[in-house]
Amino acid sequence: MRFRTQLSNAATFSKLTASLSSLGKVCWMRLEDGIVRFTIIPDQGTQVWAQLPVDAIFEESNYILEANAGVINLEVPVGALHRALRSAVAATSTQLRLTKKGNVPLLALTIHVSSWTTGSNALGMTDSDHAALARQATTTSRPGPISGPRERETVITQEIPVKVLHESAIEGLHEPRCRDPDVHIILPSLFQLKSISERFTKLATDAKGSATSAVVSPKLELSANMHGSLKLAIATDALRISSVWTDLVNPSLDPGQLSQTEIEQLPSERMRALSGDDEAGWAKVRIDGKDWGRVLSVGRLSPKVVACFIHETALILYVYLPGSSNGEDSCLTYYINSYAA
Amino acid sequence: MISLSFSLAPEALYQLHDVLTCLAKFHDTVAIEAEFDLLRLSVLNSTKTAYSAFVFEADRFFESYSFDMPRASRNARSERFCCQLYLKGLLSVFKGKTGGRDKDTAVERCEVELHERPDQTECRLAIKMICGLGVIRSYKLTYESTTVNHAVFDRTTATNQWTIEPKFLREITDHFSPSAEQLDIYSESGKVIFTSFTTKITDGKEILKKPVHTSVAIDKKDFEYFLAEDNLHIVIFLKDFKAVIAHAESAHSAITARYTRPTRPLQLAYDFGGIKTEFTLMTAGESDLGISDSSHAPELSARQTPAPVNISRASVASNTRDMPAPRARSIRPLTGTPRASARGTETNSQSQRPPPASIQFDSLFVPADDDRQWDVPNEEEEEAAEDRLGWDATGDQVWQIELIC
Repeated sequence: MRFRTQLSNAATFSKLTASLSSLGKVCWMRLEDGIVRFTIIPDQGTQVWAQLPVDAIFEESNYILEANAGVINLEVPVGALHRALRSAVAATSTQLRLTKKGNVPLLALTIHVSSWTTGSNALGMTDSDHAALARQATTTSRPGPISGPRERETVITQEIPVKVLHESAIEGLHEPRCRDPDVHIILPSLFQLKSISERFTKLATDAKGSATSAVVSPKLELSANMHGSLKLAIATDALRISSVWTDLVNPSLDPGQLSQTEIEQLPSERMRALSGDDEAGWAKVRIDGKDWGRVLSVGRLSPKVVACFIHETALILYVYLPGSSNGEDSCLTYYINSYAA
Repeated sequence: MISLSFSLAPEALYQLHDVLTCLAKFHDTVAIEAEFDLLRLSVLNSTKTAYSAFVFEADRFFESYSFDMPRASRNARSERFCCQLYLKGLLSVFKGKTGGRDKDTAVERCEVELHERPDQTECRLAIKMICGLGVIRSYKLTYESTTVNHAVFDRTTATNQWTIEPKFLREITDHFSPSAEQLDIYSESGKVIFTSFTTKITDGKEILKKPVHTSVAIDKKDFEYFLAEDNLHIVIFLKDFKAVIAHAESAHSAITARYTRPTRPLQLAYDFGGIKTEFTLMTAGESDLGISDSSHAPELSARQTPAPVNISRASVASNTRDMPAPRARSIRPLTGTPRASARGTETNSQSQRPPPASIQFDSLFVPADDDRQWDVPNEEEEEAAEDRLGWDATGDQVWQIELIC
């Protein structure tokens, strides 16, 4: 079993792991030929199934993967991986490989960072200078030798303990299956959505008083129709507030994958047929305010997000990373269950 | 009656605040020692593995400084006054920008006076902040008298030494995980490698909870000079190291480290603007690496007491070890898991409760009254002479030069 690669986009990788680590401590990382997958399945809350073409984060020409089935499955502490990757963001080159120390498998990052000194350090000092300085140093303190700026290189290695998963350990893990959505819509700026969601959650928490709020976090109502409208609302005994976005895009489905008659039979097309001011044209889900805030932290990757509403059942987010090359999209899929009213 | 009074300019107040902030990272009480020409603030941490001291020179740091001790109360051996205070109290007096929001009432001068009266039960340190517009803020802090210990560190016998800008060290520690506890330093062919690690005993099943190892290698060229034996691993607490770096960076002073070998103390020091600092930290590591050079053996025998390498902090209850020198080997920075044997050693040493206090004093700290502090030449020379005798006996007198890389 062998895995070695160079990072091509440490910033994206770091942001990706940051977003994932907000939802779970442990991540299933699946390395395949041409594709890397990251999956988070927390005990409670939102699942993420991410799939990236290798070249979204790694250098394809340096992607070496050798394993029995052509696949390596790892269990990775995603928070630690994220912290380690922060060292790589400003690096000139970063190598990632799977290695072993004793019995512990590791993901090892070797990071080369170059920087320029401001020029107060010893450049070109000979050994005899060193010796002279050493003798002086014991008696007096003295200013450092003066010299011009120079390039300095720092090598950082970060070793993250991981677990190699046997194929049998992941056999039972499947991406959730859902019925066709009632409404699909492109979300507005996640930053805006996040700050409004957080303000609503906070207002509801404050309004509820101290006793219950600590245990149950408030539920947000998110709804949308096929006429470009999205509504975020929260209701408690004390208040009822909502924000409505209009003129959003309901993306059309790929005609290459479905025939015209199939498309016409989709629930979303039936919803589209209803008029924009008809209440029945809205699909609604009830989601946990705090969990939603963690989901929206993916906004740091400035992605395009398509939200699919299955009325009173679930919300599925397809998060497309920007700049995905050679036609193959990097996509993170979030599965969020709707709470009962 | 002892009289001590001094006054500080605003600039010195900033510096004093930085010093107190740094000291507070080691322990909660600070020892103050006044002598005729200096004032010393020092903190010894609770596990006695780290001693930090700031010496303020009377004629450079203070606007005015006066100290007098009546002959009667003068100890035959000691001509100084010692007391200790809670750092929290001191910090709150000197906290924040002395300029503050209101420029008109900014502090213009600070006067400190000691009220020590045998007929009063309370001993007070009176601090007056003289501000603009005639505002005077005064504080009275209770102190208690104490005897002060100083860490013994003989700079002349330190075989390894380097100096570096604290900025470079901070860049290194920034890469470490916030939960990392210890730091291993060694050099190898032109590079100096800093490795952070945690000697946490984890269940074999909990691989994912094992701490991340981070190592950062920089060029020896980044140092103003670097004179240390290659492949000599020395281990200190990361928290102490970070506290020193943070202060040195605020003081814009390059840090000099001096040490001999693992299980012997390492001293970080720098001087600036009338302030002399020193941080004496106990080290752990592969002590046999150091003694592999046969010439080190005499020093060991001359000492005859195992160094109290009490390198664990009391707060880490599950991890408390008292490590006499030979046992320090259980710290293996560069292997991911403590080996079974190492773990065995650790449990062994756990059952050994702290070494008797007398041994500790013998080897690392001397009570000031018995054995005047390290910077008094006489006794130090005695000790050094002992060591040097050992060196002579081996006929190996070129050790200092030999170690230059």
